[in-house]
Amino acid sequence: MIPVTSVKTLPEAYALLQARPPGLRVLAGGTDLMVAINARVGLDRIGHVLDIWNVRELRGIALQDNFLRIGALTTYTEIIHSTLVNTQLPALAAVSREVGAWAIQNRGTLGGNVCNASPAGDTLPLLLAADARFLLGGPRGERTVVAEEFFLAYRKTALGADELLLRVDFPLPDAARLAYRKVGTRRAQSISKTLIAVRATPGLREVRIAAGCVAPIPLRCRRAEQAAMSGGDVRAALQLDISPINDIRSTIEYRRLVSANVLLQLLKNMGTPYSLPGRP
Amino acid sequence: MKPTITGQPLARIDGHAKVTGAARYSAEVQISGVAYGVLVTSACARGRILAIETNDAEREPGVLAVITPKNALRLPDTKVPENDRVVQVLQDDRIVYSNQPVALVVAETLEGAMHAALLVKVHEEKEPATVRLDDEIKNAFEPEPQSASGKKSADQVRGDPARGLREAAMRIDETYQTPYETHNPLEPHATTAVWNGPDRLTVYDATQGVFGVRKKLAKMFALPTGNVRVLTKFVGGGFGCKGTPWSHVILAALAAKQVGRPVKLVLTRPQMFGMVGGRPLTRQRLSVGANKQGKLTALRHESVSTTSRFDDFLEPAASVSRHSYACENMATSHRLVRLDIATPTYMRAPGEATGGFALESAIDELAHALKMDPLALRLASYAETDPTEDKPFSSKSLRKCYAEGARRFGWAWNKRSPARADGMLVGVGMATSSYPAYFSKAEALARMLPDGTALVTSGAVDLGGGTYTVMSQVAADAIGLPMDRVRFDLGDSEMPEAPRSGGSQTAASCASAVLLAGRALRDKLVRMAVADAGSPLLGARPDEVLIENGRMTANGRTDSFADVVKRAGGAPVEERARAGPDEARKKWSLHSFGAQFVEVLVDPDLGHVRVKRLVGVFAGGRILNARLARSQLMGGMVWGIGMALHEETVYDEKIGRIMTRDLADYHVPAHADVQVIEPYFIEEEDVHVDPAGVKGIGEIGITGTAAAIANAVFNATGKRVRSLPITPDKLL
Repeated sequence: MIPVTSVKTLPEAYALLQARPPGLRVLAGGTDLMVAINARVGLDRIGHVLDIWNVRELRGIALQDNFLRIGALTTYTEIIHSTLVNTQLPALAAVSREVGAWAIQNRGTLGGNVCNASPAGDTLPLLLAADARFLLGGPRGERTVVAEEFFLAYRKTALGADELLLRVDFPLPDAARLAYRKVGTRRAQSISKTLIAVRATPGLREVRIAAGCVAPIPLRCRRAEQAAMSGGDVRAALQLDISPINDIRSTIEYRRLVSANVLLQLLKNMGTPYSLPGRP
Repeated sequence: MKPTITGQPLARIDGHAKVTGAARYSAEVQISGVAYGVLVTSACARGRILAIETNDAEREPGVLAVITPKNALRLPDTKVPENDRVVQVLQDDRIVYSNQPVALVVAETLEGAMHAALLVKVHEEKEPATVRLDDEIKNAFEPEPQSASGKKSADQVRGDPARGLREAAMRIDETYQTPYETHNPLEPHATTAVWNGPDRLTVYDATQGVFGVRKKLAKMFALPTGNVRVLTKFVGGGFGCKGTPWSHVILAALAAKQVGRPVKLVLTRPQMFGMVGGRPLTRQRLSVGANKQGKLTALRHESVSTTSRFDDFLEPAASVSRHSYACENMATSHRLVRLDIATPTYMRAPGEATGGFALESAIDELAHALKMDPLALRLASYAETDPTEDKPFSSKSLRKCYAEGARRFGWAWNKRSPARADGMLVGVGMATSSYPAYFSKAEALARMLPDGTALVTSGAVDLGGGTYTVMSQVAADAIGLPMDRVRFDLGDSEMPEAPRSGGSQTAASCASAVLLAGRALRDKLVRMAVADAGSPLLGARPDEVLIENGRMTANGRTDSFADVVKRAGGAPVEERARAGPDEARKKWSLHSFGAQFVEVLVDPDLGHVRVKRLVGVFAGGRILNARLARSQLMGGMVWGIGMALHEETVYDEKIGRIMTRDLADYHVPAHADVQVIEPYFIEEEDVHVDPAGVKGIGEIGITGTAAAIANAVFNATGKRVRSLPITPDKLL
């Protein structure tokens, strides 16, 4: 039987984090952890569960200092229905609508998607392209890590063993547009084959590009960015950034070709605020 | 008397119960004192159980037993009945496929059993295994004739196919493949077993046929058949996987006996990948030749499909070629290949769905090679009589289906449709649908109660298609009562025997029995009335009695069913009837036919296929309820989209384990994938097929769909995909 500690405040959570019980796993919405437990994946590595679902201070969406600040426990459903998100960062609301089914959207959290750090995490390329910053906290204090420095290796992050992700902050630069496109086998409830996100200013003077499912981590694609800004061969440059694999969802060839096709589409259509799941 | 209620598009009578949760499915049956079973399954695909550590699980509070091959009750008989599937029921230490039951934990609560199951440690000795067709295809063998193909032999030859091909003006010789698929009904398999004494067993099971379950349990536990009762009142989809009882059914009964308590055993979604069957992989070679006018000169269809090491299931994929087109020179053959997989089984139009994809793709390829409208090519070889059996069709309205489908769809064949302004490629395609009209022995009991209502029973199963509703309609007409005074009940092996709900045969078989029983009851009541001194109808001739709404009228005098029963003492008056195929039926070739037309959009950047519009016109004899039939066909066509674009059970070929073991990775169409679906009927009066005139529409909806979509994709892109599903990577 795995011991579970359910907390309602950050100090309570930090007290347990300070004790560092072996095999500690943090439980937020449970849409990854409970599925893994149910499938008996990595069970023997789970020694203790810290349930933070009821920590109210980790929820909520606010606009402050030209940053959209979203608490780590904010669910996809809350993001989808937030007026602030829909006006300030509509692409984030749109990508949240494409995460799983309603039941998943009701439980799954933005912070959970970040900390689970799957290369197929639906929101993660968007966070990289948007230059999001992660506020981490623990018994030793708080610190901020930019999204690009957070994902270190396959499912390895910069989060310390005694730290929690508290909040995700999105800068809202003037004139920059954020767009993404998720590509799955079917039109809904589909784990991605590839996912591309782009933030660009008019005339492609400043471009940030990120991709999912094409490398061990959600990946910022710097060569493609350079090519896009300098009028170079974006398609060729992207191929140098990404390193996709064959798996049950797709092939290397498909991911390489379609990632480039989608990126070119997004760059061409930067006039639209964000891209919906597909054409009719 | 002309039916007035049969055929009406009535809403399903169990709809309210279903949407309010009042309908109890097998996993929801409440039994006092029930214990919960949870299965532990094998990891490797072939090997032996060395040891199973059960101590940790047994120490958990509330655990009643951890049943393994070491301590499981020995079954009196481990052989299964003929035409039934071999099961793995903890009687030996062999592992013959991955995800096979190897232990069963029984506990006071479901949660307790689930937790304890996690604590069971299985040590396996792995042996070399393969799930790859190519590794074993050299050992392909000719199967025994099986019931799925109507006991027909695996191979059939007519004329001289080699010469027909040589003399053809145009030839197609291509290989097509359909993947492993898994049924995935929404309702999981679930069994609750209750022993009433040492030799009486009651089982609530999610099954397509209560009598098959009864037979297997009675045999394996060596019980008189009458001592086993099987019930299933509602089934949340079967699609074939609930057609035969699998290991968990036997294990639930075994566990209940072993712990001396009723046991409920519900499979998890991942456990439904393997041990309850699936569609086998097929590889089919089609060699088709035609003259310049598009008339077929040769048709050769060779199919290889997979089965397990320990049981033979044949997917009769080439059978569809035996009945579809007029052709002098034909050859069909079936071969099986054994792999380290669980035994496949019937799934959504077995044979016709898979074989139809290959045949109807090849016909389209031939038309393209001849620069002909594929519809015109099909008409050039229209089979007026069954080309293999030299028999007339009992009825065949395929020509009307083609014409009506083409008209509704607006079929105008172009060699290549122009792309849209937004860059999306547009394509149209079509294919023929067909499915045999099966009819099996069925019985029904019709009973008039003193209150003037009728109770009609037959032990069929309603898979969700509307059996309760259509049988009530048929019974109401047959007896002469309004719908609200007839109750039809089913799903109990104590009722008159009906066939398994498979092969699209329930409507035909059960409705025929209900019709005969209802008429017999009506006639009996009339005979009682005219001979009854207390009846106003005394002395009337039975044939001059008119019946309407439960009242009998003759010569201006009336009597009611209720009064007849009351005057006779008040005991229900009943008649039992049996329907079944006779010798005369063998003179006919019996099939439903249809035609499907589809428009697709293909995204050239992503390779995504969007089925924009799917029009199907079907002729399946008498339609008992147009509304429910439409839903049934629509469901079949949606499954056709799944077969064409999404569904594939993917194995890890190194370890022989299914990797797509949930609905996140095993894709079926989502709502967003389905746009316009239009099913239509051509009504047929078929007096040869069965007394009810029904051919069955349960499965025909999926036949031809995948080929029509593949043909449309070719029309849009110029790419011919011969291996399903048509995933985006195959188009880029």
